[in-house]
Amino acid sequence: MSLLSLQCRHRYASGFELDVSFELNHRFTSLFGPSGSGKTSVLSIIAGVFRPQQASVRLNGRRLLDTANGICVTPARRAIGLVFQDALLFPHLTVERNLQYGRRHRAAARRTVAYARVVDVLELGGLLRRYPRNLSGGERQRVALGRAVLSGPELLMMDEPLASLDDSLKGRILEYLQRMIAEWDIPTLFVTHSQAEVRRAAEWVVVLQQGRMVAEGPPDEALARPAPLAWGNSAGPVNLLRIEQVTAAEGHLAARVAGQDLFLPLGKPPAVSPSFVQFRPADVIVSRQDVSGLSVRNHLHGRVCQVAPVEGAIFVAVDIGQIVWAEVTPQAAAELQLAPGAEVVCLLKAHCLTLVS
Amino acid sequence: MTSEAWTAVRLSLQVAMCAALGGLPFAIAIGYWLARGRFAGKWLVEAVVNLPLVLPPVVTGYVLLVLLAPRGPIGAVLQGWLGVKIVFTWWGAALASMVMGFPLMVRAIRLAFQAVDPRLEMAARTLGAGGAATFFTVSLPLARRGVTAGWILAFARSLGEFGATIMVAGNIEGQTRTIPLAVYTLANQPDGMGRAWPLVALSVALSCGALAISELLERRQSLHVPA
Repeated sequence: MSLLSLQCRHRYASGFELDVSFELNHRFTSLFGPSGSGKTSVLSIIAGVFRPQQASVRLNGRRLLDTANGICVTPARRAIGLVFQDALLFPHLTVERNLQYGRRHRAAARRTVAYARVVDVLELGGLLRRYPRNLSGGERQRVALGRAVLSGPELLMMDEPLASLDDSLKGRILEYLQRMIAEWDIPTLFVTHSQAEVRRAAEWVVVLQQGRMVAEGPPDEALARPAPLAWGNSAGPVNLLRIEQVTAAEGHLAARVAGQDLFLPLGKPPAVSPSFVQFRPADVIVSRQDVSGLSVRNHLHGRVCQVAPVEGAIFVAVDIGQIVWAEVTPQAAAELQLAPGAEVVCLLKAHCLTLVS
Repeated sequence: MTSEAWTAVRLSLQVAMCAALGGLPFAIAIGYWLARGRFAGKWLVEAVVNLPLVLPPVVTGYVLLVLLAPRGPIGAVLQGWLGVKIVFTWWGAALASMVMGFPLMVRAIRLAFQAVDPRLEMAARTLGAGGAATFFTVSLPLARRGVTAGWILAFARSLGEFGATIMVAGNIEGQTRTIPLAVYTLANQPDGMGRAWPLVALSVALSCGALAISELLERRQSLHVPA
């Protein structure tokens, strides 16, 4: 029995057609896709706030929606927590009353999460008497998380909860989120259009494009295929490598990535693990053999696993243990005979790398 | 002021209070329905609710009189089953005022509900609140200032009601003679113009006060709506 199974089909008046089915069995799944790919519609269908023309939804074997048999459980009885991009706290209630809202309206049997513990884990103690209008964006999002968890959900769904926050806050809220999932073991479906968020947090990713599922799998795998990346809508693939053992060395930071050495510009080693480095595909130089006598510090050895032409450029996926995307000209790709299986070295200046934590 | 004048003031307040309170539950129900509901024939409901705004009050009063008279379709039932007489009593005045003030109350309440983000109601439902619980814990509290403003508007409108009241309730000293009717009666007497002044001034003050409070509440309501 899967945790969640969904099958839905809906044709909007605008002509947009949603036709998605998938099953979830992971703790932390990300629903990924560009804007307008149908992510929010899918969440609304699962939560029960939007009823499509044809659908069936099962959660832990319980039938929530089955249009063929006229079954439709109201959102109030689905036990699915929903966190919105703009938090949607009740403006007329204090933080404390917001947190307890779900608790008061859910059957006592579902009150599996201790109020005091939520306040503790999400560090809400100092906010309880405040009203939502006196909270910052990050604080609101934390209260919204707490409110959803306290309603005792069997599934927690989040609709781009980080999209309206600035970058430094995103990492911290993600941390709270991961702490929460670890503490209460609530399966989570996380909607985002940010590849970085998917790579950092999700165990499994379902990729949507134009109302259809185009890929699913572990993040590194599912996002490595060009089709799902919806490049028409974003600036192309993002390089985000998971790094380990970051230490300060003489004049730089040293780290390991998939068993190879990595040089980073000098800075403070990150406090959290795992951490990630980000760089642009255009900053990667591809060479067929290792070259010496260059100032470039990073020489990552790997094998081409994919070549994807996009609007006058070629994106080459190199498997170095993780996927590195390089952007090269069509001439270069032809001259170097870049095809799947080719052994290459990716050359990367240390100063092109940005540490993300 | 004479004791008759004070009686008129007391009656006016009593009638206006009853009219505004009696209409409130219906105005909340219809206002919410108009703000949220999507159904065919909504325009018809709106038209009927707003009719007293555009009809001459005397015509509205006439229709009410026909319906509520002891032999009228509603009056006969009330008289026969409950032994209640509406026309030419202060209840009649209250009912006429209620009908006249109803469109104003519905309009204010409807606007207040429209200003409540429907996604907050959605959030409440995903947190386990049913339809009624969502309404009473989220929609109504968020619209409360608009509801109060609508109530005050209807109250003020009732204080000034003349045309429909005189048709349904008559102009009986001590029973249905409210401030406007008392002013009218005085003004028709040879030396009455001068004696009507205190009542006129009081009426202006009451109306201005009600309007000011209603305006203030509506402003606070708009500040309250989340960005």
